[in-house]
Amino acid sequence: MKVEKSLPQGVGKFTPGWIVFIAVAMVVLIIGVLAYLYEANMGLIVTGMANIGTQGGATWGLYVVMVEYFIGVSLAGIVLVAFAHVFDIKALRAISRLALLLTTCSLMVGLLAVLIDLGTPIRGIINMILYVRPQSPFFGTFTLVAVGVLLSSLMYLYLDGRRDAAYLADIDSGLRWYHRLWAAGYGDTQAEQERHRRTMFWLSILIVPFVIVALSTEGLVFGIQVGRPGWFGALQAPDFIILAAASGLANLIVLTAIVRRVLKDDSTLIGPAVFKWLGGLLLAATAAAVYLQIVELVTMLYATPGNERLLADALLRGPYAWIFWSGLFLVVFGLTLLVTQAARRQWSLGVLIIASVAISTSVVAERYLTVIPSQTHGMMLPYEPGSYFPTWVEFAVVAGMFALGALLIGLFMKVFPIIPLDGKRAEQEVLVDA
Amino acid sequence: MTRYAMAVDLDLCQGCRGCMVACKVENNTVEGNFWMYVFRFEAGTYPDTKITFLPRPCQHCDNAPCVKVCPVGARFKREDGLVLTDADRCIGCRYCELACPYGVNYFNWQKPEKAQYAIVDWRDESIESVTGGLIPPYKNPDLDELWGDEQRRTAGGGHAKGVMEKCTFCVHRVEKGLEPACVDSCPTNALVFGDLDDPDTPMSRYLRENRTWQLLEEAGTRPRVYYVGGTPPTRHQTEIERPKATV
Ligand code: SF4
Ligand code: SF4
Repeated sequence: MKVEKSLPQGVGKFTPGWIVFIAVAMVVLIIGVLAYLYEANMGLIVTGMANIGTQGGATWGLYVVMVEYFIGVSLAGIVLVAFAHVFDIKALRAISRLALLLTTCSLMVGLLAVLIDLGTPIRGIINMILYVRPQSPFFGTFTLVAVGVLLSSLMYLYLDGRRDAAYLADIDSGLRWYHRLWAAGYGDTQAEQERHRRTMFWLSILIVPFVIVALSTEGLVFGIQVGRPGWFGALQAPDFIILAAASGLANLIVLTAIVRRVLKDDSTLIGPAVFKWLGGLLLAATAAAVYLQIVELVTMLYATPGNERLLADALLRGPYAWIFWSGLFLVVFGLTLLVTQAARRQWSLGVLIIASVAISTSVVAERYLTVIPSQTHGMMLPYEPGSYFPTWVEFAVVAGMFALGALLIGLFMKVFPIIPLDGKRAEQEVLVDA
Repeated sequence: MTRYAMAVDLDLCQGCRGCMVACKVENNTVEGNFWMYVFRFEAGTYPDTKITFLPRPCQHCDNAPCVKVCPVGARFKREDGLVLTDADRCIGCRYCELACPYGVNYFNWQKPEKAQYAIVDWRDESIESVTGGLIPPYKNPDLDELWGDEQRRTAGGGHAKGVMEKCTFCVHRVEKGLEPACVDSCPTNALVFGDLDDPDTPMSRYLRENRTWQLLEEAGTRPRVYYVGGTPPTRHQTEIERPKATV
């Protein structure tokens, strides 16, 4: 009898379920790509957007809402991993790779959404390099977020996985070349392990403030516009970060639950402690989000300055009221579920998922209400109020964005173990007859 | 140095919107885009109503938020004060449109040729026999020239799909010593344009002799457009009608 190692966690094995998942994601993605090609050919006229002012439209629509949403979602993963490293929280180790993957994928999709929204995307890429102006708040998106955060999360993902890659490179499989490439000579000696640990520690300490500063620029895109009622204000940046944390954690919870389900045999690797941590953190982020929302609501109800009044009316009882109130309901509902669970000291996965979906949806609503109403109902000159509703093209493209994200994560899971192997190597070895 | 500015005399404006038409003809703007727009307000309830007018060109602000936010410097301010858009550099992010408190920016949502007014079918044979195959509007070749020290394509509209456009104070006319088309066409001389640094221009005299105010001063944009007479618009005024156009 000899001991032979096989690739863990279903890596390299294509199950029927996985193939169906990939096929569905591909179909949705292809529809999204076709819708985008149609848009690229005809112009943004095929979206529901129109000029503000005399044309009574919104010039930033669902795409910008999704840019804000996806870039927001990316915050939680990387910060959580950094947090776990610095404070040495063992329970979160199991989901560290998943969290980094969520950050990387949602960031890529978010940045893609920026390009999709541009009138001239190719010229956009070229001119952003040739003529970039640091005075524009977009500078933060294109440098700190696009280059800084994306590169740090990729680097993090890479460094974090090297040890596992070195282990996998020993296993005879079709993916060996890839694992070797990733390991890049890492031999897992004592000295290397120590160096690795130190690098990760310092990287983690640096990453948290950097990511928060970088992503705050997304809030500043709105917050520093004095000419836009509803946008101008110091709360935009912290608001962006808090909502980002809530939506990111909510997505991470759902993703973790799915992965746990998919892994079947390895599902025990993700223990209840993981969900307890995630649930608790989501509770804190959501509570902070609700707090901020209430502060804003009270200010709005009590003393609305001139130009903001029309906007407040549109939000509270006008055309956006249904989004506003359902968003508020969802977030309060999600928070209540979380609080009850925390009080009972019992985290049920089902309830946690419901709360996460509710909270994540409410963040989409909140982002929508940040971006859109100020354009249709927040003009400083007395233009007639406008309206905006996304078209099928926008919905199809956005569905394609989600599909792309899911596809990236799905593909990753087949080439690399999604849960770090670390000390659990022995469990991965299977006995086969000689 | 030259410092261009415009004055709008609301006591003289009769709301004929001739300037809006002159601007469209001069600048080849597409349907539904009004670089110069004249609000026609009604305040009060019938029969005690008051009608007022407010022409609204781009204010060519000295502290222009649209210039500040442009990520690639396509929107820029010239030394003489004109705030212009470089049609060859704009990436169509539409941030300037949102940063501007006055709502004067117009993005080309589709190919401009497709968005021009189509009152008749210009390709109809019977019409072609008269027009000789020419499809209006007539486009002034000056609009494709490069202007100013910067030598950038900044004049006129209808250039390309996916870029931003707005009032240019008719840079292509100003460079030739002419006045903007709206000023030139105003039948009551409610619009005045000129160099503020030359004390003898009608513009400088106008500012010296009249009390002026500026639109949305609270936004801190320091406009180059001065209003004379009338009162700043308020939320109690409503527009008599909304511009009709398909976009
Ligand atoms: S009016 Fe608007 S577009 Fe014109 S210069 Fe001022 S901010 Fe820019
Ligand atoms: S739309 Fe064009 S001019 Fe306006 S901010 Fe974007 S790149 Fe600059």
